[in-house]
Amino acid sequence: MGRLIDLLPLNYSDAVVAIGAALLGIAAGALGVFAVLRQRSLVGDALAHAALPGVCVAFLATGAKDAATLLVGAACAGLVGALLMVAIERTGRVRPDAAIGVVLSSFFSLGIVLLTHIASTNDADQAGLDTYLFGQAAGLLERDLTVMAVLALVALAVVALAFRPLKTTLFDPSFAGAAGLPVRALEVFMTMLLIVAVVIGLRTVGAILMVAMLVVPAVAARQLCDRLALLIPLAAAIGAAVGVAGALIAARAEVPTGPVIVLVGVAVVAVAVLLAPGRGVLWRGRKLLRDRRRALVEGVLVELETTNDAGPPPTARELALASGRRRREVGRALASLDRAGMLARDGERLRLSAAGAAAARAALERRDLWSAWLEHGWRLDLPDAREPDPTDLRASLGDERADALRRLAAAGGGAAR
Amino acid sequence: MSDDLAIVLTAGLVATAAGLLGPFLVLRRVALMSDAVSHAVLPGIVAVYLLFGTRAPLPVIAGAACFAVLCVLGIDALRSTRLVASDAAIALVFPALFALGVLGVTEFASGAHLDLDATIYGEIAFAPFDTLTFGAVEVARSIVLLGAVVLANALLVALLWKELKATTFDPEFARTVGISPALLSRLLLVAVAVTAVAAFESVGAILVVTLLIVPAATAHLLCDRLPAMVVATLAIGWLSAIAGHAAALEADASIAGAMGLVAACCFALALLLSPRRGLLARALQRRRRRRAVRAALSAD
Repeated sequence: MGRLIDLLPLNYSDAVVAIGAALLGIAAGALGVFAVLRQRSLVGDALAHAALPGVCVAFLATGAKDAATLLVGAACAGLVGALLMVAIERTGRVRPDAAIGVVLSSFFSLGIVLLTHIASTNDADQAGLDTYLFGQAAGLLERDLTVMAVLALVALAVVALAFRPLKTTLFDPSFAGAAGLPVRALEVFMTMLLIVAVVIGLRTVGAILMVAMLVVPAVAARQLCDRLALLIPLAAAIGAAVGVAGALIAARAEVPTGPVIVLVGVAVVAVAVLLAPGRGVLWRGRKLLRDRRRALVEGVLVELETTNDAGPPPTARELALASGRRRREVGRALASLDRAGMLARDGERLRLSAAGAAAARAALERRDLWSAWLEHGWRLDLPDAREPDPTDLRASLGDERADALRRLAAAGGGAAR
Repeated sequence: MSDDLAIVLTAGLVATAAGLLGPFLVLRRVALMSDAVSHAVLPGIVAVYLLFGTRAPLPVIAGAACFAVLCVLGIDALRSTRLVASDAAIALVFPALFALGVLGVTEFASGAHLDLDATIYGEIAFAPFDTLTFGAVEVARSIVLLGAVVLANALLVALLWKELKATTFDPEFARTVGISPALLSRLLLVAVAVTAVAAFESVGAILVVTLLIVPAATAHLLCDRLPAMVVATLAIGWLSAIAGHAAALEADASIAGAMGLVAACCFALALLLSPRRGLLARALQRRRRRRAVRAALSAD
């Protein structure tokens, strides 16, 4: 650990804090995935709050102030809290959210009573205890880093060893039960993993903000990948990056570390939710706009083709009137048809060029194929149960089946019955 | 008014204000939203202090209510992207706001009557020293403020009783008869925010949550009818105030924390001993049933 600290281009205390934050990010990121995917994120909040009385009881029982003893206390209290939550939920009357709330606030009340009690009885030794509330990264020692690293390594190794049963239980608990896995025990085990993460993070970000460290990396990573085996390392990496960035910013600005890490993390989630390729809010918005635009252009193209058949070529205004679209929309669609070389203008009047007419016929054929699919698609023998891609039916069905579909449509609906 | 009486009254009023809202939060399964909202008021208080240099109740309540609404809207916005589950949305939004508040307190407002410990445990022991005078009567400021909040909450619950009940138990029906469940939820959470701010000085951020959730959850174990549940919640709240004060003096510990602890003990007792839903009653019932089955089988 000492060599790692020397390697970083930071002064000693900043390096310790940065490594601590990175360890926390790795552990909380990888282990928080199990809470977020089970939709039990707030259990992490309750466990983090429950750690406070554990720290106090450990202090009262041993009189020791070293981190390891206090964290063992925190872990025990977390375990008791987790079991109580399960017990309360199993009575049936109290819903999960109330059970989490009751455990969280009861343990925290106990913690505060103990904390103030300790403060009033022996004032000299207690000075460090309330740093567990908001965290105090600056108080981390090199020895603490070793403890954190060992804990994180053990937890990650166990996750790697038990990956398959954990994954099965996570995504399909009833199948896991039917397959003979000890589902209850595995669920308690996942909660224990969370406790390990909480214990690792308690000194750095504190009990109240810990939940964000569990949730941020998992939610951000979830926007970027769909496989659990990738999700866990990705979440760990995001967690580490968030931790280090937050710690460095906090050191530079000389403000408390925990809140800065949390704010950096939430900003990362916001960016991921907005920009994630394929599913982010902005990405989906852009795709929606593009699809609308394409539908508009195709609609105007087809309308030009059909009105050209009926009479003299229309003007833009007549086209808008005939199609019931707004003039501005029609204008925009015509402009983009123009750019594609599909229009042949005849003064005010509009005609399709050869390319335009071909495109319109292709569009009409696609539409016919689609209505044929809707009406007769059930008669086709498809190789698998997946729905074909509606934007390009011919390609996804294959030419042979598409032609068969056209023949069915041409033969008329009732004939085959 | 003696100091102890003032403290117990303050505590009781906090419990009353919270107890009027708690049953609805627990029954609507939004107990943890109250947790989120009461954390989210912290940056509101800090922002008002930084912008206007005041801690007067009205501007602070307005600022905090803004942040509470922001918190609820933020959670709704994240949820409506369908990229983030609602529990994760809660767990993302409120720590962010609370972190903002903590930074604000430690950086800009330290030493100015706002400090971190007070945001967690409150300063109920100081309640009797800050007084207002009405004619010849001297009353603690916190009692006046909390009395007003209790009155406001009581009015809200009394005037919207039917609507709250309908949206809590049957949101679909409420929507058909033209009551918007979402609107009432927002209203309830704004009331939670106002209560949280008013109670903030006396019991701190997290203990407001205790008083919002724990007495109501306890009452839920004991009662089947809403009016009975509200009354039971208030009774448990006052019991926690009185017993908590006594216990805190005994142990020389935080009064607010002791109140929360008494409420937690009530919950534990109810969980074990509730006549119909308690763990003990259910275990006995199971045993009786098993015995009855065995008797019926051996009779065959």
